[in-house]
Amino acid sequence: MPSFFQIRHLDVEIASTSILRDISLDFHDGEVTALLGHNGSGKSTLLKVLARQLEPSGGELALQGDAFGTLGQRDFARQVGFLPQYTPATDGLTVRELVALGRYPWKGPLGRYRDEDQRLIDQAIDDTGLQAFAQRSVDTLSGGERQRAWIAMLLAQQTRCLLLDEPISALDVLHQVETLRLIQRLAEQRELTVVMVLHDVDLAARFCDRLVALKAGAVTADGTPAQIMNEQVLESIYSVPMGVMERAPGQWVSYVH
Amino acid sequence: MSAKAPSLPLRLPSSTVLIWLLALFASALPWLGKLPVDALLAAIWAPNTDDFSQVLVHYSWAPRLAMALLIGSGLGLAGAVLQQILRNPLASPTTLGVESGAQLAIAIATVYLPGLMALSPDLTAVTGGILGTGLVIALTWRLGFSPVTVILAGMVVSFFLGAINAAFMLFHGEYLGNLFIWGAGSLVQNDWNQFQTLSPRVVVLAIALVLLMRPLQLLQLGADSAKALGARVTALRLLAMLLVILLTASVVSRVGVVAFVGLAAPALARLLGARTLAQHLLWSTLLGAGLLLLADALAQWATAWADGNLVPTGTATALIGGPILLLALRGMKNDRHMPGQASEPASFTPERKPLALPLIALLVVLALVVVLAIAWSPTLSGWQWTAISNWDQAWDWRGPRLLAALVAGVVLAIAGTLIQRLTGNVMASPEVLGISGGAALAMVVLSLMGLNPGRAGQLLAGSLGGAAVLTLLFALSRRHRFSGHQLLLGGVAVYVFMDAGIRMVLSGGGTEANKLLTWLSGSTWLVTETEALALALVAAALVAVTALVSRVLTILPLGEPTALSLGLRVPLARAGVLLIAALLTAAATIIIGPLSFVGLMAPHLARLLGQQTVARQMLLAAIIGAALLTLADYLSRVVMYPNQLPAGILAAIVGGTYFLWGLSRHDRR
Repeated sequence: MPSFFQIRHLDVEIASTSILRDISLDFHDGEVTALLGHNGSGKSTLLKVLARQLEPSGGELALQGDAFGTLGQRDFARQVGFLPQYTPATDGLTVRELVALGRYPWKGPLGRYRDEDQRLIDQAIDDTGLQAFAQRSVDTLSGGERQRAWIAMLLAQQTRCLLLDEPISALDVLHQVETLRLIQRLAEQRELTVVMVLHDVDLAARFCDRLVALKAGAVTADGTPAQIMNEQVLESIYSVPMGVMERAPGQWVSYVH
Repeated sequence: MSAKAPSLPLRLPSSTVLIWLLALFASALPWLGKLPVDALLAAIWAPNTDDFSQVLVHYSWAPRLAMALLIGSGLGLAGAVLQQILRNPLASPTTLGVESGAQLAIAIATVYLPGLMALSPDLTAVTGGILGTGLVIALTWRLGFSPVTVILAGMVVSFFLGAINAAFMLFHGEYLGNLFIWGAGSLVQNDWNQFQTLSPRVVVLAIALVLLMRPLQLLQLGADSAKALGARVTALRLLAMLLVILLTASVVSRVGVVAFVGLAAPALARLLGARTLAQHLLWSTLLGAGLLLLADALAQWATAWADGNLVPTGTATALIGGPILLLALRGMKNDRHMPGQASEPASFTPERKPLALPLIALLVVLALVVVLAIAWSPTLSGWQWTAISNWDQAWDWRGPRLLAALVAGVVLAIAGTLIQRLTGNVMASPEVLGISGGAALAMVVLSLMGLNPGRAGQLLAGSLGGAAVLTLLFALSRRHRFSGHQLLLGGVAVYVFMDAGIRMVLSGGGTEANKLLTWLSGSTWLVTETEALALALVAAALVAVTALVSRVLTILPLGEPTALSLGLRVPLARAGVLLIAALLTAAATIIIGPLSFVGLMAPHLARLLGQQTVARQMLLAAIIGAALLTLADYLSRVVMYPNQLPAGILAAIVGGTYFLWGLSRHDRR
């Protein structure tokens, strides 16, 4: 598989505290990856660096072979979509208007929206099942619906990659599973590369192709769910004795001793 | 952790001593040249009546010094107690409207109830102070006294009462000439009389406040815990509040508004490390005295520099008050909010409505106002219509100011929309954020430097001033990411600073200053036809540019991460919008002065009328702004006929009310 993101010797310091140390990693085209680790392990920071929200203090990053620095802001936004952990208040925008903003990287401040753009916007709303809410104000939606509206905006952006920072942390169990299913399905249909920060290791193993675990700013485990979901590896990630049961192929349950 | 209680940080007493020494030295310096030190000290108590300098020391300098120390310590203590009872590190007699309420009451009583004033100026001032504070508390009662909101309401109530006061002075200038200087807080003394009447009151009230210390200490734990420990919280709060108002009002009734000492002293004490309540009260008192003495010395120096034009001490304290408020705000966490939502105002999404109806209705209103303004006006023989055949003559008289007001309204409305979008804050506006204050200050300084730059130069200088303020706010509020009321309060602090700066500069300006003062209150009658047309052209060009960035303006309120990930070059976009907003604000400030609130009202009303997208909001806001300011201009011409009132003051009175209403509306949800 060709690599979508290529990270070499990445260092990040914030206020002279080292957050990430000498990370070299590849994220592959069409792969759904979860970033795991306990609080403060640097997983959100890594995601922000990938989204170019944060300037690294050292190391090289490349997007499909192009160094990060050589890409313009809108070039980058046509290839990589990013969903922050806390989605901001949307100031009265309707769902459709929010989704339409996803076309900005392609159209700029003045370019006219053509039929093709309208079609992509409608498609994104359909794919996330928000047809009924298209004219509702985003601020009046429930947490799960709002999350889907933002994902729809990323879809309208027509990027090949989604970076999601804890996309399910504010949702109840039902909406967590629904959202992850949606992401999994979309990734398959549109051949997307997805990197997301997740807290729930069982859900991550269930819905992702690959799990990458960080600890104290370094990669401590990296592999398929089958490779990660065993007692030694989980214990090394979370520093608590843990057990794992495989209930069915591809469905693990982990627990703390 | 050692078992020893933390000791008092050394920097607290040392800084206090330093401030006192500096202030005493600065205050005594002019006299040291005329008298030897021992003669100076002796003259304080027993002057040699043959020596004029010694007489001056005894009857002018010494009582002034004593007054500064007395008032400063009183206000410092009052501020510290207020902060304790409201558990709000920004509370003070200034920021709760006590001082401006007292000031307005005295102005009104001087004109209408001179008997009452002769009987007891204190009673008048106390009533006004209670009403001012009452207004602030009533406005924020349901909002749970969130610290920043209370102070924001307090500052705007102060502006509001100040604007009424200013309008009042313009009506009754002949009675209130002295009040003008008094109102700005002048410590000039002619004998020991005032000190002798004021000192026993301050001392008695201060002792009463100190006696309340033990129960006040319980309030630190919060109202519920204090109640559980047996304190009668409400009664205690009311009593302490009343004592503070009494103390402040007796000061105001003698020397006028000495703003911000009650805020600066406790804030400084806290910054320097005062921890317990006792330390707080003690060091706030001492620091208050030192600070006021320092400010007073500064004012005396400025007066000397301004060729004898009096610079009131209150102006000097306001000059230091703005930065102190900003400093205190930076160190503060608005901890009544959940971490994730920060302190963002509740989202503001009135129901969407079609554009056509409000658009047509407002255009009709605007047309009506314009026709009224041209044609129906009072004459010496009653109200009369001007026949249509004479409208071209009427235009010569009434046209330029009408056009200017209309343009200013449009421009301010657009600037307000830009700034609300830029900051993602629906209560922001060029006026509230001090941008128009910055523009005005730059223009005033330019004029007083003896340059006559014409409108173009003024526009340029004003834009630079406005842009500088907006950039400063960006830098200061990075931490809060423009969230909610902290930004607004920061802007208000900047406005206070700018306003004090303008007054300070103006006091040295002579006749030029008078002209500027008229202009600053937004007097449209100075505008000529050429100027009005030129401004209209500039405004049209700017508005055309603004229309191009509406998509950017939709994205910016979503915050930096989202804007970045959509490929927007955020710094560039912000700088561009900022520049346009500054230019627009400057253009409007030239006509209507810095404090009209139209930039807040028009975009906000447009959203209330259901127009949420950028383009529609801007369109409707522009028409509303035009209608508001043309109406204000018309009313300012006719309500006092044959006298005129500056349209800016009229707009500020209406706008201030609107702001307070909006504030309570947004927080309730």
